[in-house]
Amino acid sequence: MVRFMRREWFGSGGGMVRFRRREWFSSGRGMVRFMRREWFGVAGAAAARPECFLSVQDGLAADFRAMTKTLYDLNKGSNIVRGGPLKELVIENFDEEQIWQQLELRNNAVLDFFKKSIAKDAEDEDLCLFSDQEEDGSDAETNSDKELEDNIMEDETEQINVHTKDKDKTKAKEKQSKLSKSLMQKYSDEDSDIDFDIEALEQQAKTAKETTLRKKGRKSVVDDKFFKLAEMETFLEHAEKEDKEEEDDDDDDINYFEDIISDYEEDSEEAKVKPIKSSRDMTYEDFFDSVDDDDGDDDLVANDAEKNQEEEADSAIEEQNEESMSEFEDVDEMVEHARSKEASKKVTFSLPDDSETEHVTEEQLEKDINPSEIKSSFEKRQEKMSKKIKSLEDALLEEKPWQLKGEVTGQKRPENSLLEETVLFDHAVRMAPVITEETTFQLEDIIKQRILDEAWDDVVPKEKPKEEAFEYKKRISLDHEKSKLSLAEIYEQEYMKLHQQKTEEEENPEHKEIQEMMDSLFQKLDALCNFHFTPKPPVPEVKIVSNLPAISMEEVAPVAVSDAALLAPEEIKKKNKAGDVKTDAEKTPTDKKRELRRKKLRKRMRRREKEKREKLLEKMKPEQGTKLSKKAAAAKLKRLTKEGKASLLKDEGKDKALKSSQAFFSQLQDQVRMQIKDATKLKKKQKKEKAISVQKLKL
Amino acid sequence: MNPLKNTPSCPNQECEGYNLLNLKKIIPWYNLSRNIIWVGKGELRKIPVPANRYTPLKESWMKIFTPIVEHLQLQIRFNLKTRNVEIKTCQETKDLSALTKAADFVKAFILGFQVEDALALIRLDDLFLESFEVTDVKPLKGDHLSRAIGRIAGKGGKTKFTIENVTRTRIVLADAKIHILGSFQNIKMARTAICNLILGSPPSKVYGNIRAVASRAAERF
Repeated sequence: MVRFMRREWFGSGGGMVRFRRREWFSSGRGMVRFMRREWFGVAGAAAARPECFLSVQDGLAADFRAMTKTLYDLNKGSNIVRGGPLKELVIENFDEEQIWQQLELRNNAVLDFFKKSIAKDAEDEDLCLFSDQEEDGSDAETNSDKELEDNIMEDETEQINVHTKDKDKTKAKEKQSKLSKSLMQKYSDEDSDIDFDIEALEQQAKTAKETTLRKKGRKSVVDDKFFKLAEMETFLEHAEKEDKEEEDDDDDDINYFEDIISDYEEDSEEAKVKPIKSSRDMTYEDFFDSVDDDDGDDDLVANDAEKNQEEEADSAIEEQNEESMSEFEDVDEMVEHARSKEASKKVTFSLPDDSETEHVTEEQLEKDINPSEIKSSFEKRQEKMSKKIKSLEDALLEEKPWQLKGEVTGQKRPENSLLEETVLFDHAVRMAPVITEETTFQLEDIIKQRILDEAWDDVVPKEKPKEEAFEYKKRISLDHEKSKLSLAEIYEQEYMKLHQQKTEEEENPEHKEIQEMMDSLFQKLDALCNFHFTPKPPVPEVKIVSNLPAISMEEVAPVAVSDAALLAPEEIKKKNKAGDVKTDAEKTPTDKKRELRRKKLRKRMRRREKEKREKLLEKMKPEQGTKLSKKAAAAKLKRLTKEGKASLLKDEGKDKALKSSQAFFSQLQDQVRMQIKDATKLKKKQKKEKAISVQKLKL
Repeated sequence: MNPLKNTPSCPNQECEGYNLLNLKKIIPWYNLSRNIIWVGKGELRKIPVPANRYTPLKESWMKIFTPIVEHLQLQIRFNLKTRNVEIKTCQETKDLSALTKAADFVKAFILGFQVEDALALIRLDDLFLESFEVTDVKPLKGDHLSRAIGRIAGKGGKTKFTIENVTRTRIVLADAKIHILGSFQNIKMARTAICNLILGSPPSKVYGNIRAVASRAAERF
């Protein structure tokens, strides 16, 4: 019945009466069946004469309307699905749109309910699909159409349940994903979806049906671009199988053996990543397979867009009419799976590069100048040459790249362009040697050889030459005396030193060697042949001994120097010829005499010197001379005595040595008596003279 | 005080280092030309003689006279009236720098140097004569000045002789004036030492310094 309904939609202009599959949902099965039969009667009659649909058929429309009303009321009456404000569908004098909107109200409520139920069932893990047994079960039932039609609603209801229950988790998830996607899509493209949905869906369903039939590959007379009889039949068989199974089981029981989409289970697990496409961007390919009469499989071009559209439709339908969607869903899914399979088999062309095409086009353009002419090889070469020349000329005329512009600063060239260039520059520093295997081998060879030779590179400890201060001072000794050499001589000496050194070095070593060798030889010869040989006198070694105390040699600035320290005792006083110094008691008579002789000699010498000096003095300075000599003294005394300035004291008995005091005093007495006598004599004389002298007055 | 630098009169003359022993005749290129155009009177140099140097000059006149006339081929005389020593070139003169050298030699003697020391001026080309005063280094007066001079001289001339010996120069200390005769580097060394003494450092320190410098100089050559 469903199929027929579908066909009717296709056949009709579309839009006369919009049948919503969900209206076929009804709580009571009997009612449903009744309705189904009614529908079938009407629809069958209509379908029998499809050419009637070319024109508007009011009677049929009225029948359909009545049917929808009854169905609506039935549905509303049942308490399974709640929602919607209207209790019954009013159709008298109501336009299509108005009826439609009434249905719309009901649909919204139902939509919510189904959403929730699907969500619940999707989460339910107890649901699963069993493939083979289900088919068998379903196949057994495909006998009568009526049964099928009777079971359609059941199927639908069950299938939804089954669908939800028997699906794998993945399918449930996919459904969820589809749900979510569809939700999104619905909200994004709400306006468009409402309009286009059914049409798309219709076309999809048709194609799906077609694809399933195409699978079998049978071809009939009825087949055309969009319809394949074989597909239809396969689909029907599939459905019948399911119906039969449903009859056997309860609605609530899960039919473990029922498998809806057995063939495409594997494919269903494929991850489908489809780009979301808005319905406004749909093209022919999205809705239809590419038109091909013969091969069914080729037409199954699994465009992603198409799949997406199917998904959209699927999901939209799901929300709106869950149960009725089952078949379509199955078909669609089958189609999808088929298409996904095809997608994997899809061949993609590698398009030629644009550049190549451009090149080609250019060349073609160029060559197209004289396409008819056949060019000689020379001409071709010439052409190539001219092209090359032209390109080179263009390159020359163009602005040069920065590499050829000479000195280029950072601003004039692109960023980091120098990194890509290989730059040559002089290395001021020697590059580190590249260590290769060869170098290591060389090193190892050297090392081995050194070890064998025992030529180590041990560090020889260096000693810093320590110069003592003493030696340093000695080097430049300060001479505090006036230099004996004049400046010219000093410089002369220096000059000679500088120039002589060179000559000495050149001559001496060889000569020295020769001399030494000769000497040794001659010595030996002499020893052998000459018995009376007298050895050469030893070469006097000249030693310069400076009579300086050691302290003065060491000290830089001698502060005090004394002669006493310098001279030896013998130098100060001559040593006695006898040797030791003797006392008078120890002296022998010879010694005494010797001394006496010496003494006399010394005296004699002194006297003579004195006389000489006095003589000289007398000659030079007569005044001084008289004072000194003895004669001069005697003469002076005489004079003085004569003048009376001095008086001579007579000396009587003074020569004798006075041993006793008595003798001394007696002598003294005698002297006084003598003096008195003289004085009396002098008085007599003085009386005569009576010369007043200063001396006499002096007392 | 401009030191009397015994620079050769002719700048183009190329002098060899030490003209010792042999008084090499270095004939500069224009001497020949000069000989060609030499006509008439030659150059004359006059060196005044102070009174205190009169007698020494008289005593060592022969020693001065001989090298000038014989080796340098110049004419020399002492003008009694003006009390100047006059040196003149003559036709026999071959060296153009001879006159300068002779003049410097006589001048050095007049300043107070010994004849033998001054003779080195003739024999060597690169000897110079530097004079300066004690007050140039540091303004001293009275006793301080005397003390400074005493420091320079040392006891019995000890310090002065030490400096002379180490630096290979000859120093004349005439009251507040100091004259140094020697090569350029040596003059510098001696001058530094004397200045240090004037400024007040003790002689031992100065000895140390001179010795160090002299050893370095000796090592270099």
